[in-house]
Amino acid sequence: MHIKESMKMADVIQMNYMLIPVIHRFGIELGFGDKTVTEVCIENEVDLNFFLQLVNAYHDQDYFPKEELQTIPVHEIVAYLKMTHASYLNNTVTEIEQKIKSLELEGSEDKKYIALIRNFFEGYKSELTEHIMREEDVVFPYVLAVDEIIKTEKISEENKEIFEQFSIEEYEEDHDDVEEKLLDLRTIMIKYVTPPSNSTLYHSIIQDLFRLEEDLNYHSRIEDKVLIPKIILMEKSIQNLF
Amino acid sequence: MPRTSILIAENICLIRKGLRSVIQKLGNAEILQSISNKEELYDIANRLKPDVLIANPNMLNSTSEDLKRHFLNAKKMSLVLISDDESIDTKYKADAFLHYNDNQNKILTTLEEIIDRKAKKESNNKSNETLSAREQNILKHIALGLTNKEIADQLFISIHTVVTHRKNITQKLGIKSVSGLTVYAILNNLISMDEVK
Repeated sequence: MHIKESMKMADVIQMNYMLIPVIHRFGIELGFGDKTVTEVCIENEVDLNFFLQLVNAYHDQDYFPKEELQTIPVHEIVAYLKMTHASYLNNTVTEIEQKIKSLELEGSEDKKYIALIRNFFEGYKSELTEHIMREEDVVFPYVLAVDEIIKTEKISEENKEIFEQFSIEEYEEDHDDVEEKLLDLRTIMIKYVTPPSNSTLYHSIIQDLFRLEEDLNYHSRIEDKVLIPKIILMEKSIQNLF
Repeated sequence: MPRTSILIAENICLIRKGLRSVIQKLGNAEILQSISNKEELYDIANRLKPDVLIANPNMLNSTSEDLKRHFLNAKKMSLVLISDDESIDTKYKADAFLHYNDNQNKILTTLEEIIDRKAKKESNNKSNETLSAREQNILKHIALGLTNKEIADQLFISIHTVVTHRKNITQKLGIKSVSGLTVYAILNNLISMDEVK
């Protein structure tokens, strides 16, 4: 069932609790009473079309409204991706890290293993951070420059430099699998480690890892299926233009 | 899987030291002691109960075929004979034979087979994903941060073989990244935490 603009926002969340962090990234807070999706979006100055496409794509893996998504302005996509980046680094990843640390503080004989898991997760975190920084420092400025060139049909000196130094293909190539480590960590925790005495906390870390992975997969779908194809098309038309 | 303990009994100093340095290339093995004195051997072997004894036949007190029968407390021990005498293979009964002119690769393969056989006996019905001794050895090197090329050079095998082993390891364990494999290696005592840079 697809999420429609006339639905109550509360029902949307009841339908899929994984949307809670997604709407949060749009600055929408819970407690919306009986307001519809449209009403909530207007109130929070969120682009309704963009919101609907995103939550639907999130809610249903097979829903991929390429055409509708293609109509969403580039700067909106970039702004959304930046918000998700910030929420990964500031919330999700930090929370998991905290949980692992408190598990380590509790542990006695399992301490060694938990330290291993913590080291591993920290390694993952710095890889993810590096990946995100590259997107924010190189890829997004490039994407925005391409967008501006298309819009204004002019290449400023500044944009010319950015445009010539990079191409989205490069990004496609090194859009490497940061998720690999996450998968490994999960496998190790499930298959190879005897859980410590506080198994509740241990289990909740594993569940967090699953959720983070799911969220990241969705995030990369937006990048790979929406942003990149869009930019490839724009690059071509720039080359034809000038 | 615990490390395999090895006892060396050989009267020639150079052979003892050489053997030790080759065995250090084995991933999951440790040398308990090297013995040069024939009189001490039975006492030490019965006390330390090594998994594997590598001995020169002239260190053993027997002319008969059954060399193992004096090791009362070490019945499960595998016996590997080493000698410059090529005919030991037919003269004695043992689990494996090494010769002074064997190259490093031959020695490593022989010992890995012994360790494998033991592991299979001990964990007959454990999951089928247990790594072979060679795979454990390769995994250890990966965990230590070596490249495929470096591993190939160290173990005297081709890069292609290393790559195949890596694929199998990843498939068996379900772990892809080097850091994940390192964690697995530490959890399974293939390397210690201090060895990881």
